[in-house]
Amino acid sequence: MKLNILIGGKAGQGIDTISKIISNILVKQGYFVFNYRDYPSLITGGHNFNIISFSDKKIGSFKTKFDGIVSLDKKTIKIHKKNLKKNGFIIHFKEFEKNEKDRKNTNIILAGALTKILGVDKKYLIQEIKKQFNNKETISASEKGYESQKNKFNLKKLKNKITIMSGTKGIVQGAINSGIDIYFAYPMTPATGVMHKLADKQKTHNLIVFQPENEIAVANAGLGASFTGAKVMVGTSGGGFDLMAEALSFQGMSEIPLVVYLASRSGPGTGVPTYTSQADLNIALGEGHGEFPRVVIAPGDPIECIEKTNEAFYLSQKFNSLSIILSDKHLAESEFSTDRKPNKILKIKINRKIPGKEIVKANSYEHDVFGAIKKECEKFEMIKIYGKKESKNLIIAWGSTKTVILDAIKGLDFKFLQVLYLKPMSKKIKKEIEKANNVILIENNLTGQLGRLIREKTGIKIKNRILKYDSRPFNLDELKKEILKIK
Amino acid sequence: MKNKKINLSTKNEITWCPGCTNFMVLESVKRTLKNIIASGIKQKNIAMATGIGCHGKIFDYLNLSGIYGLHGRVLPVALGIKLGNPKLVVLGFAGDGDTYAEGMSHFIHAGRYNANITLIVNNNQSFSLTTGQATPTSQQGYKTKAQPLGEFNHPINPIKLALASGATFVARCNAQDIEHTSKILEQAIKHKGFSFIDIIQNCLVFNLEMNNLDNLMYKINNKNNMKKAMELAEKWNYNSRKIKIPIGIFYQTKRPVLEDHFKNKIRR
Repeated sequence: MKLNILIGGKAGQGIDTISKIISNILVKQGYFVFNYRDYPSLITGGHNFNIISFSDKKIGSFKTKFDGIVSLDKKTIKIHKKNLKKNGFIIHFKEFEKNEKDRKNTNIILAGALTKILGVDKKYLIQEIKKQFNNKETISASEKGYESQKNKFNLKKLKNKITIMSGTKGIVQGAINSGIDIYFAYPMTPATGVMHKLADKQKTHNLIVFQPENEIAVANAGLGASFTGAKVMVGTSGGGFDLMAEALSFQGMSEIPLVVYLASRSGPGTGVPTYTSQADLNIALGEGHGEFPRVVIAPGDPIECIEKTNEAFYLSQKFNSLSIILSDKHLAESEFSTDRKPNKILKIKINRKIPGKEIVKANSYEHDVFGAIKKECEKFEMIKIYGKKESKNLIIAWGSTKTVILDAIKGLDFKFLQVLYLKPMSKKIKKEIEKANNVILIENNLTGQLGRLIREKTGIKIKNRILKYDSRPFNLDELKKEILKIK
Repeated sequence: MKNKKINLSTKNEITWCPGCTNFMVLESVKRTLKNIIASGIKQKNIAMATGIGCHGKIFDYLNLSGIYGLHGRVLPVALGIKLGNPKLVVLGFAGDGDTYAEGMSHFIHAGRYNANITLIVNNNQSFSLTTGQATPTSQQGYKTKAQPLGEFNHPINPIKLALASGATFVARCNAQDIEHTSKILEQAIKHKGFSFIDIIQNCLVFNLEMNNLDNLMYKINNKNNMKKAMELAEKWNYNSRKIKIPIGIFYQTKRPVLEDHFKNKIRR
């Protein structure tokens, strides 16, 4: 069982609210849910849509054909109707437009209507609405929607215990698990989510979130604070990361620990702020003048975001080094569900000299050589292998393409190697490539930056490449088609 | 007498030009810090951030914790140190090119944040360590290797700028008046909020035209009167040798400090 539903409308009409209600209900019913968000850079108006895909089995991608469309405006139908399956359903806002009261809560009504179509018991809808809003108006709006439809599906409650979260939430949880003291950031999509969520944690946790005048100040203040023994992370997207370059190099010279969260958007310059790409691997690996050690880690799902953020803090404190966590819009803002629990939390200790306890100058730290960092990283999962372990067909990828690849190779004769540590890099990658007959590189960028890195480190050129660079993530059917074409 | 044991010096060889007024700034700072330490603040609880330029070498000559940072980035580093550990007394040492060119955005925002840090700007109206190019406070007509036709741009007035940006302690000093400078510096450090001192100094190698302004200087002590502060700031435009130059405190006022806003959020 697998359903793919599009919810569309103008920004500000509450599309995310509908997906949140439906996702939460489905997760509680034991279904795996994947929620993709597609929106341009504007606050009200335009055309936004979410695609909710769910299944009784693991799922981490969406398809191009829809089983249903929920529309908050006419444009949604106009744009997406061509992709509706033959037996697909439409829930149209027009049905509820007649009276003033309903117009205010159209999104809640539509959420109620969709719940009924899926055949989920009304009590779960009411529970969720109460949890999110807890007022009479929204409850009766959701009921009105529910009563307006007949059920088309009959989703039974399953026994799976599932959590759903975005990559953003995973990074925040990882930082909290690591005992973060200060987060410095300047607003920049798609990294801003972490700033907002950590700022909100100030109500319940002892940490500071501060927004300085620019990313130059962000990175320098991060180093100043870390110098005093605080556990610090800074966050940004590509343009802000470029501004930080000078300070990252200064980190290399001063050896003050620093964790940087880099969430990519697509395109150079200002680029396409609300869309995705994996085009910033090169700057993550190389930003900053001079030569100095760094760790670059790219988680591929929210649970890995929790674990790898924790490892990034651990490694930067242990080696007084720079740790970069590389994500993108697709991972940061999509929601993924899982039944896996994160690994045990690594305790972060501050072992260096700090001012206030003694006189310490920032250019006189003792430190380990880079070789020692690599050895320590080998304690963690630097790569992961999925699919058929004995297969001679090997797919190599990193970051946010992970879940769609897992969905695409289900039932196929493929092995999938996910690279999590891009610097330092695992020796096992070379061995895996040598064992395979057919190697395919998959990246959400134009030039195949991981491919180049692998060639630099191993001397092996991966000829088969599936690269997508239209600012959108891979969808399942198109990726599967491309993979089978090469095979 | 109790100051005797306090050792603020290091064994590093001092590489400023012989006779440089930076020696006088260093002496003023040492005198001030001796008083500060004698008043009960531990030496290990003082931290500095320095920029890049001749002034920045003070990092190697003061026996204090600190970060020898990047050109222009003294203030964000100092802010980070303060937020990281608010118990530290934080001093920023910067130059005029450092603060008013590369680091200008940080300077303006430091007034806005009002963290309890002290910024000391060695202002010799010249990029001396890079052999004398014009800075934002150089006088018009200043001929350099980079501006052989004479500097075209009008100098900015950092005192006015600091007042406009919300700095809560604004002062100007004369590097050669060690007694006065250390007195003002002590008040700046004791002031709770962002304190800014522009120290007018000679460079013996570059921009000689603006050396020896001592005879033009007169002392002021204005507090909590913004209108008068602005009037005093307007007196000298950093351009002329013919106008009297006020030195001393232009303005001092109280405002909540940034780190107190996060008081309950600091873990360690």
